[in-house]
Amino acid sequence: MTKNNGSPIEKTVEETVDILVIGAGASGGAATAWLSEAGFKVKCLEQGYWQDPSKYASASQDYEFEMMTNWAPDPNMRQRDEDYPVNDSESPVTPVMFNGVGGSTILWTAHTPRFHPSDFRVKSLDGVADDWPITYDELEEFYDLNDAVMGCSGINGDPANPPRSPRQMPPLPLGTDGKKLISGFEKLGWHWWPSDSYINSQRYGEGRDACNFCGHNHMGCYQRAKSSTDLTYWPRALKSGAEIETGARVRRITTDDSGRATGADYVDSKGNERHQGARAVIMAANGIGTPRLLLNSASDTHPDGLSNSTGLVGKNLMFHPFAMISGTFPEKMKTWQGPLGNIAFSQEFYETDKSRGFVRGYTYQFQRSLGPAWIAKGGFRDPVPWGKDHHEVLEKRLGSVMAMAVIGEDLPENHNAVDLDPKLTDSDGIPAPRIRYTLSKNSRDQLDHAIENAKKALEAAGASDIFVDPMMRQSGWHLMGTARMGDDPAESVVDKWGQSHDVDNLFIVDGSVFVTSAAVNPTPTIQALALRTADYIVTNRQDLKG
Amino acid sequence: MTTNAKRGSVDDKLLVAILDRLIPAVDDLPSAGQMGLTSEIVLLAAQQVRFNNLFENAIDSFGAANPTFTSSNGEQQDDAIRTFESVSPELFCALLSIAYIVYYKDSRVHVRIGWEGRTPQPDGNDMEPWDESVLETVRKRKPFWRSVD
Repeated sequence: MTKNNGSPIEKTVEETVDILVIGAGASGGAATAWLSEAGFKVKCLEQGYWQDPSKYASASQDYEFEMMTNWAPDPNMRQRDEDYPVNDSESPVTPVMFNGVGGSTILWTAHTPRFHPSDFRVKSLDGVADDWPITYDELEEFYDLNDAVMGCSGINGDPANPPRSPRQMPPLPLGTDGKKLISGFEKLGWHWWPSDSYINSQRYGEGRDACNFCGHNHMGCYQRAKSSTDLTYWPRALKSGAEIETGARVRRITTDDSGRATGADYVDSKGNERHQGARAVIMAANGIGTPRLLLNSASDTHPDGLSNSTGLVGKNLMFHPFAMISGTFPEKMKTWQGPLGNIAFSQEFYETDKSRGFVRGYTYQFQRSLGPAWIAKGGFRDPVPWGKDHHEVLEKRLGSVMAMAVIGEDLPENHNAVDLDPKLTDSDGIPAPRIRYTLSKNSRDQLDHAIENAKKALEAAGASDIFVDPMMRQSGWHLMGTARMGDDPAESVVDKWGQSHDVDNLFIVDGSVFVTSAAVNPTPTIQALALRTADYIVTNRQDLKG
Repeated sequence: MTTNAKRGSVDDKLLVAILDRLIPAVDDLPSAGQMGLTSEIVLLAAQQVRFNNLFENAIDSFGAANPTFTSSNGEQQDDAIRTFESVSPELFCALLSIAYIVYYKDSRVHVRIGWEGRTPQPDGNDMEPWDESVLETVRKRKPFWRSVD
């Protein structure tokens, strides 16, 4: 058994594997499938469980209640046994995520734009943050591979983005509501384009139907039309011999006397302490879970945490703080029909224009609204008032509210960070993460600019009663930057292949490695990077095969 | 349901009186408190420990701060609720949320507002198919993404 730097816990030791993957979500699924198909013996430890789509919140009569309790995206509200608490009292943004096979792809909207080429060169172009050690062109083939596995509905020809390979399926329909919102952008001469979405607009993939426009896929897709890695990468991984253990909560990555990773200590679903040996470890536990585990893996050879000789593990947390601007249209448009956030997007203000008073830019993601209880509770805006005005206001909003989410590029700042809470632990006594985050002036200026333009677009489309949430609290879906990649070992945690500068058999493939955040939903980029890292291991690290 | 009995730690009579002020009568429908929704509210809240604690705390705190609420007039009751909303926003939010959720899943309400009133699955909804002609204007625009050398 691997010496674990003084841990007194008795452990059962599992057979050593080639690659141990921590986390079975967007990136863990992709890396596991690629490596197991290339002949590596891969095991994944996932603290959550397999999900049954027939039991998602979207299939429940009480789905409105389920989404604020047992299926809430905020783990502090969900409080399942497999969740860990997050101290977010020093952050205006609450991190949201899902723990289970598929990870946060279970509850995501599956809105899947790509980074722009300029997003990899922000230092060179705009003099801020740092350039990535890779380019869009280097990542493009992995974007394409990922699109093929996840299945992308969309259409080529977007003037805001480079040309790309044909999408697997045509776009999802815009709907009457979507066309209405788009009319505002057309009147203003502003860019819009149908969203790339990992949602089937027709049958695609094994056992996966076309979207039935239920409007609730962010509550888990009953129809299996929304892509999540439990439906895409994991069947491939298991077919090629990969193993996954669910309900397995990792305490620490273990190391030997030379500092190399040897596997992980974990608690299994029955509460037994175990050790899984491995020739290499891949972290895929998201931009909060990964730094948490690395910091929890401090040892004699890594006193400040694993792969943390620079002190950068947990630093430079980026969220994409969201502003949400909604309007009420005079028409009744059945806005609850169709995927909530997958109509279209606008990147009119994406690239830097310094005359605006800030650098970098933002994307608008167009949003529908849902049914009466969701509207009454506020949805994307303030709750419908209780008392004498309740019924009149509810009736005005139901079927008539649409919104625009602003995703602004959040630049890295050292003081925005994840560390270990001195008191808070999960149910196994493992220290929980603490988040410290403040919104930068550049990000605030971006959001304010976006809010004013969103008002113009909504008004041009015919909306009134415009409501602004200048920064949504429960919007921390995109967890990035906490173990950044770079060529300089003094300024980054991993190299351009996701390999730790400190530990040559430790890799990171989740959003932690992002150098900057761009202004788009990050998952296709996370998955493309995971495939690229896995491909590097296949090509260059056959020494990791037993 | 206007009994004075407590179910668990929730005071039914108090909950009925609060619901009556939150969601008043409209058209042919009585106010929410008179629709017999309290059993469902209590049952649903109990589905999660964290939420149930919030909900029960809301009722208990409100009752403790307003011992004469059920015998007060409407204006006084509204003032009491507004004060509670201001002083205990998290507890009030839990109370209001579950009141709205249970009210808007009631078939009588669905009929009044014209809501189909079914769970979204398995049938889903119909949408008109994708129509590429909507791209006619935006396709004419020249590429404007920033190139990188």
